[in-house]
Amino acid sequence: MAAEDDGKEYRWETGYEKTWEAIKEDDDGLLDGSVAEIIQKAKRKRMLERKSNARLGMMRHIFVVIDLSECMADQDLKPTRQICTIKLLNAFIEEFFDQNPISQMGIIVMKNKRAEKVSDLTGTAKKHIKALHQVESMPCGGEPSLQNALEMAMRSLKMLPSHASREILIILGSLTTCDPGDINQTINELKEHVIQCSLISLAGEVHICKALAKATGGQFGVVLDDAHFKDLLLLHVEPPPAAAKLEPALIKMGFPHHVTGAVGQSKDAPMLAICMCHLDVPSECKLSAGGYFCPQCNSKYCELPVECKACGLTLASAPHLARSYHHLFPVAPFAELPFNAGDKNDPCYSCQRSYSASKDKNIYKCGRCLQIFCVDCDIFVHETLHMCPGCASHPSTTSQLK
Amino acid sequence: MDTSEDLTESSLLVVVLDVGLSRATTLRNDPALAGQVLEAVIAFSNAHMMMRLKNLLALVACDTETTEWIYPESKADMSDLRQQDGQHELFNELERTVRRKIAQLLKRSAGSNSKGESMLSGALGRALCYVHRMQQEERQLNARVLVVTANGQSVSQYMNFMNVFFTAQKQNVLIDVCCLGPESSLLQQGCDITGGQYFRPPQPQGLLQYLLWVFLPEPLLRNKLALPPRVKVDYRAACFCHRELVDIGFVCSVCLSIVCKFSPICTTCHTLFKTPGTLPIKPKRKKAKLV
Repeated sequence: MAAEDDGKEYRWETGYEKTWEAIKEDDDGLLDGSVAEIIQKAKRKRMLERKSNARLGMMRHIFVVIDLSECMADQDLKPTRQICTIKLLNAFIEEFFDQNPISQMGIIVMKNKRAEKVSDLTGTAKKHIKALHQVESMPCGGEPSLQNALEMAMRSLKMLPSHASREILIILGSLTTCDPGDINQTINELKEHVIQCSLISLAGEVHICKALAKATGGQFGVVLDDAHFKDLLLLHVEPPPAAAKLEPALIKMGFPHHVTGAVGQSKDAPMLAICMCHLDVPSECKLSAGGYFCPQCNSKYCELPVECKACGLTLASAPHLARSYHHLFPVAPFAELPFNAGDKNDPCYSCQRSYSASKDKNIYKCGRCLQIFCVDCDIFVHETLHMCPGCASHPSTTSQLK
Repeated sequence: MDTSEDLTESSLLVVVLDVGLSRATTLRNDPALAGQVLEAVIAFSNAHMMMRLKNLLALVACDTETTEWIYPESKADMSDLRQQDGQHELFNELERTVRRKIAQLLKRSAGSNSKGESMLSGALGRALCYVHRMQQEERQLNARVLVVTANGQSVSQYMNFMNVFFTAQKQNVLIDVCCLGPESSLLQQGCDITGGQYFRPPQPQGLLQYLLWVFLPEPLLRNKLALPPRVKVDYRAACFCHRELVDIGFVCSVCLSIVCKFSPICTTCHTLFKTPGTLPIKPKRKKAKLV
């Protein structure tokens, strides 16, 4: 079926592959070196695929749908599918809000043919981590209903303004879904509202899952083991390309500055007050004088980023926006050059490691500043630092904007 | 304190020295001061090495033209290492290397008379790559970076700086700043994000004293000491159009650039926006909350 769909064959239909020949022993008879090389190659390949200057959906609104049907109690992922999923999601949420600080997330669980919202769309990671903690102790049972969950997520997502990028990420353990109506209709509606649906299946490929992902422009993946599961999840940390229907807009945003609480020192000093973010949770209410004050309506918050509950203004600070800039201005991939041990080579420009013939098969050259880097720095610069140290060392190449 | 832990732990200090110092206004009147700063940094580096047997040190320098790796050299010549004046060989070698390479750097940049900003972000980037490598090679390594600079107003490198700060935060690397010039809000933000100490010595003449007092203690010890209080950091955003700090601004949904007034076209990514007629979409979002 897949072959008809996208021209790709199933793995078992492809030609005979001698996969073991890719792994070679090094001089000491060890495999570590070549395995590490394969991993590095895969990382680089993913890096090269990333296009620069693509329009991205930066203001993301994502619903994570977690399956809690009886299949999630299976023990093929250790200790159980449920606990493994929750553990990886914890890491995912941290990473997601680290990279997309002005985005929002919500969590829905599917069990007993129902969908249940455990946390609403908000931009604070803590709430979701807490909600996940609850999910961890929930018993798994019944069948999931894909349609109910999609409908529930769609009800919230379709109300968002037109510049927001909308996504649903479903983690499905079951091979079946128990739906009240025609799911194809729901898929069409999702398409209409430009909601991207991605699925990660813990069990296997199911036609409806793949069709859903394909129709809405999402990704579909089946996990091999927990490491692969993590990889698949972390792919969703990167903001997706913006859908064509997404209307760009200028969004009004507030940048409050922090007022430290020194009560009664001057007339302007803020009065003791309870922050707006914890009003509904009386146990966590803290009376304080300091905080962030909305520049429009003067409501107080103890954390940023947040959407003002009184006037709806998005409140953020400059570093929050800066955290997302690297998605928009990525470092161009370095060129791969073969390393000749005979040549006289300077050490790696940034980490000062001298190249050795056994460890370095290739060295990497930045196309702008022409400095040479080792493979570790190449990956570090592109995955973490997001800035070429060579380019940043010369006035002519410093600015990334040009 | 557990002594066995003490022996295995090592702490890496990367000093980023901005030798564009001499061009800064505070130091221009007193050329001898630049020399004093170098002396102080070398003495401070030695002091760090003396704290513990396994302590490591690296030094990167930058000026307005380039950045330069100073210490340790990748192919250091250890053959003529011998004691002089009773000084420990390692310290002697460090001092000679630093002096020689700084002199080279200054000679090279003496010809050019650029008045630009120091390439501080590039030097910090190299420092973090080095830390990354050392963290992989050594199991237990506390790393921190000390920036000694006189000109931290680097608007054009804003994005680079931010990337450096976030990376340092992820790596668990503190960035300390000793600022000899005018106050730099950018570097203050960096210290605040990474949990480092920002300090501007009131009298640059006594630099060594300040360095030993504020920056020598390891981060774990710092909360037990009476150090200068945290500075209040202004995190307000500067708009891209006038570089002024804004309380309420407009943010482009495509490229996240900040402007202070509504304009129909984004100056950074050239996206066309609909006229303000579309803005009252806002109330819809509130409805979404209520549902």
